[in-house]
Amino acid sequence: MRHSPPSRRARSARRTAAWSVSLIVAAGAAACGPEDNDAKPGGSDAAPHKGGTLTVLNSDPQQDFDPARLYTSGGGNVPSLVFRTLTTRNRENGAEGAKVVPDLATDTGRPNKDATVWTYTLKEGLKYEDGSAITSADIKYGIERSFAAELSGGAPYLRDWLIGGADYQGPYKDKGKGLDSIETPDERTIVFHLDKPEGEFPYLATQTQFAPVPRAKDTGTEYEEHPVSSGPYKVAENQNDGERLVLERNTYWSAATDAERKAYPDRIDVRSGIDPSVINQRLSASQGADAAAVTTDTNLGPAELAKVTGDKELASRVGTGHFGYTNYIAFNPKVKPFDDPKVRQAIAYAVDRTSVINAAGGSALAEPATTYLPNQKSFGYTPYDHFPAGASGDPAKAKELLKQAGYENGLTVTLTHSNAQDFETGPEIATALQDALKKAGITVKLQGLEDNDYSDTVHDAKTEPGFFLAHWGADWPSGGPFLAPIFDGRQIVEDGANFNTGFLNDKSVNDEIDAINKLTDLDEAAKRWGALDKKIGERALTVPLFHPVYKRLYGKDIRNVVISDWTGVLDISQVAVE
Amino acid sequence: MSAAKALDGLAGFAVRRVIGAVVTLLAISVIIYVVFYVAPGDVAQITCGPRCSPAQVQQVAGQLHLDDPLHLRYWHFLQGILAGQDFSTGTSVQHCDAPCLGLSYQSDQQVTQLILAKLPVTFSLVLGAMTLWLLIGVGTGVLSVWRRGRITERVLTGVTLAGTATPVFVIGLVLMIVVCGQLQWLPFPQYVPFAEDPEQWAWNLLLPWLSLALIEAARYARLTRSSMLETLAEDHVRTFRAYGVGERSIVGRHALRGAVAPVVALAANDFGGSMGGAVLTETMFGLPGIGRELVHAVNVVDLPVVVGMVLVIGFFVVVANAVADVLFAVADRRVVLS
Amino acid sequence: MSEPFVALGAAEAGTDVVLAPASGARQFWRRLRAQRAALLAAGVIALLVLVALAAPLLTAIEGQDPTTYHPRLVDSASGGVPVGAFGGMGADHWLGVEPQTGRDLFARLVYGARVSLGVALSATLLQVLIGVVVGVAAALGGRWADQVLSRATDVIIAMPLMIMALALLAIVPGGFPRPVLVAAIIGLVAWGSIAKIVRAHALTLKELDHVAAARLSGWGPWRVARRELLPALAAPVITYAALLFPLNITTEAALSFLGVGVKPPTPSWGQMLTQADVWYQAAPQYLLLPAGALFVTVLALTVLGDGVRTALDPRAASRLRVGTGRRREAKA
Repeated sequence: MRHSPPSRRARSARRTAAWSVSLIVAAGAAACGPEDNDAKPGGSDAAPHKGGTLTVLNSDPQQDFDPARLYTSGGGNVPSLVFRTLTTRNRENGAEGAKVVPDLATDTGRPNKDATVWTYTLKEGLKYEDGSAITSADIKYGIERSFAAELSGGAPYLRDWLIGGADYQGPYKDKGKGLDSIETPDERTIVFHLDKPEGEFPYLATQTQFAPVPRAKDTGTEYEEHPVSSGPYKVAENQNDGERLVLERNTYWSAATDAERKAYPDRIDVRSGIDPSVINQRLSASQGADAAAVTTDTNLGPAELAKVTGDKELASRVGTGHFGYTNYIAFNPKVKPFDDPKVRQAIAYAVDRTSVINAAGGSALAEPATTYLPNQKSFGYTPYDHFPAGASGDPAKAKELLKQAGYENGLTVTLTHSNAQDFETGPEIATALQDALKKAGITVKLQGLEDNDYSDTVHDAKTEPGFFLAHWGADWPSGGPFLAPIFDGRQIVEDGANFNTGFLNDKSVNDEIDAINKLTDLDEAAKRWGALDKKIGERALTVPLFHPVYKRLYGKDIRNVVISDWTGVLDISQVAVE
Repeated sequence: MSAAKALDGLAGFAVRRVIGAVVTLLAISVIIYVVFYVAPGDVAQITCGPRCSPAQVQQVAGQLHLDDPLHLRYWHFLQGILAGQDFSTGTSVQHCDAPCLGLSYQSDQQVTQLILAKLPVTFSLVLGAMTLWLLIGVGTGVLSVWRRGRITERVLTGVTLAGTATPVFVIGLVLMIVVCGQLQWLPFPQYVPFAEDPEQWAWNLLLPWLSLALIEAARYARLTRSSMLETLAEDHVRTFRAYGVGERSIVGRHALRGAVAPVVALAANDFGGSMGGAVLTETMFGLPGIGRELVHAVNVVDLPVVVGMVLVIGFFVVVANAVADVLFAVADRRVVLS
Repeated sequence: MSEPFVALGAAEAGTDVVLAPASGARQFWRRLRAQRAALLAAGVIALLVLVALAAPLLTAIEGQDPTTYHPRLVDSASGGVPVGAFGGMGADHWLGVEPQTGRDLFARLVYGARVSLGVALSATLLQVLIGVVVGVAAALGGRWADQVLSRATDVIIAMPLMIMALALLAIVPGGFPRPVLVAAIIGLVAWGSIAKIVRAHALTLKELDHVAAARLSGWGPWRVARRELLPALAAPVITYAALLFPLNITTEAALSFLGVGVKPPTPSWGQMLTQADVWYQAAPQYLLLPAGALFVTVLALTVLGDGVRTALDPRAASRLRVGTGRRREAKA
């Protein structure tokens, strides 16, 4: 994974991360999750003011600003200001915001009968920052270049879904050979041919790889310094590889063709490389230009939260949101004693979720999880708790199961975790578990690995430990990208990065995944994902621990705060500056 | 010793130092290459992204020449420094002029340019802090000699000692919260290039400078004080006193002169050390200099960036040490002559 | 490598290249005892060492241990601030509890002393060991050996410690005991300056009549080193080690701060500071306790180091000493 910078004190910054920093940077956050109803902070009162400069204070620099390299959920936050895509996320608060809506295209895509062919038509009058027209061929080219080894980094779905995608190496090789499974019969039409049914294709089309790139302007690895804008802003300055990014209005963008981006400020100044605690200090002080500032990658940490809760003015400037994300214990059933379901269940009963949540920042920053899928409607959330541990664990039940498994005198196991501080797979969570399992007679030895080593070890089928901390984030708000990579038996990778860490290869599960992928009714699909999650949960291959809650400060002069359940963070395209 | 012979000695000394420095830097680069070769972290996988297929990872590895044996990769690195390097952006071929330290695995930036972009930040931090700690340190030292035995001396020595005993990350954070957050006297440090706005440059860096200076000043105060006391104990000073030269003139002129060489030498030495130590300060204050970039590069196993930056830091350490050595030689001669 | 550097190191360390007249152990103690500040510092350090050694006993008296979580002693909804005044201080938890986890702070502080002092002491010993071996070998070995060893010393000096530590800590398997590893890395990466000082001293000693005589009479280099050099090197080495020790305590803390030091659940002061700094406002005692402990320790060690130096080399007594007033100055 493209990992983030200085390991320490990413307390706030890191919490967001799904996989990659790129995703983090991209994913925004959103306020108002299900429960705290709505962020009206600042005010949804009068019509938002147009103009002014919005400052963005970030910890991670926008090192990748090439649409081919970005790994985003829903097109990202800052990137989405510059790159329009075929479809995009609905810029609304809460659950409404987890829906996919058209962007460059006139609709979210027209599938054939079995969802293997998807056709899109571009809106009329779409223009780049230089006034030239955006064509369907540019979108095809943008996707093709994301296959080049020079521009790697994006999500795996295009490679896995498009016919011929697995072998294609991008347009820079073989005299610009294209990908035949993308057709552009005319300037406004684009057709995708998939090698299997994928009802969720419209979600995929929100990612930045679906942004148009004019072939004549492509400069390969140097394109990210000044990518050609199709969105409301263009890059005016890009200093030090994304450390400072100044965006100015793209005068050729027309609000008439873009129902999603509000683009109120005239100028957006993204400053990064700032320590997370400094970002939060600056946002709370909110002086000068910081009054019109937001952050797209730094959450409030527990210590800062303690300060904010005691201050009404500050509390009114906190946006709360939920991004589809689960932190869990993973087992490798090939390693003893975790081959015995009773041992796995015993651990599930012994877990003290109160301690774990405290270690993760307290009840305001984490919600207990008993399901693998995030607790949101769009994922098809179906509540279940197969091994009820209550708030603080059921050591008696755990001991009983251990006795049945033949460990009446207790058990010693090794828990592998990452050494990254304040990261969800880090030592804090591990020690909380160690303490809780002690009560059930399970002695836990901790094995902390440095960050890179940890991901290499855990995602290699040959070295995967038996008992470790893991997490998974949503590529889009649906059960598909959450369940398939982890539980689809055909996604087990023997010689590379493997995410099916429980090595589950069950025909009934695989078949159900295929069946759901055929559905183009996304609500119906969500229900089926939820049911599948509940069924897989019985196997106790994972012990879900918690879903994070994102809380972020914004400056005094920030208005029109919108936080969707898709990103969980404030949507920068909606923000207005007083 | 004749002047010619001295010059000859000095030239010989300089030549030996230069050769020594080159050998030292080469050794450092070899060590880093080996250490990172052994270190875990699959560079190709990191560059390619977490969800890349084995085939894609292979392609990336090939494109970054990670499949080449270690000695070949090192050889190409040396070639780049001497003769430059060509690299492909996908759509065209670019030339990276000698001395080319290679291309970042992660960002495709030329390492040489990356360093040139970060160096001003680190220099601003180190040189500014050094000026401040020399002023505070030497000032305190002189004052404590001037007022020796009185309460002022005790307070000053106590304060400077307390400075030495506090880690920079504690002082830095507390100062930042109090001075920038609560009192709002200074802005939260944020690098503004000198060329863009000198006033803002200094204003923003004042806090990092102060934090570093508070910690370092103590050693200078102690060195200044001891060198001065030593001079004061010398015979010629007693003679001055006997002739009725005022105490102010003795301390301010003669004693202080004795402290100049050792203090400057220590400063030269610390300059090198501070370049290496910038890792901590820059991370602390979020300043985009060499140190912070280096930590990031280590975390993502970005070998070309790590090698390039460690070499640059090593270069300054070696040069600064050489300067310190020469200054000490000069200082010694003065002692001998007097 | 040139001598001047040594002068510099010596100036910093407060020893002269010119050898102090060898003074007996008894004289040393007498001189050390004459310094009130140094005695006080020694007392503080003795107390710290005692506390570190007796950590299990002390926590048993308190009835706590450093690793047990007390989720009910923190307010989960507000991020995990300890419940009660002064961070939950009271009869059960003498110094309150840690935010988020509710672990006992007194227990973590006294166990942390073990790690901080232990790591720094082992690192210092390792630095001294390597430094003396390399320095003496360079001085006594042939021209070629001297070249190689001196060059190696230069390389070590020019390597940024933090960066090497970051890289090396990643290489060693996760199961390796972390405090040992941190001590080893500090020791292995930061012995450059002591090696230089030892070499310079040894070179000067080599020319002295009795050493030269021993060499001429056919003693092997090993015997010369052991019988003639090492005793004479004791003074400068001890002086410099006294300077390194507090430095190593800060280095351990700094490594932990950057996230590459000692790992939880093992408490070390640096490790505690890393997590505590952001709690400055919400739970100040969490930051102040380890910071205070670190401050007192480093201060005491520095003052004691000055005292040791003065006792070993009375001629330098007036030099780098601190806060010791006029009396001794007059003597010097």
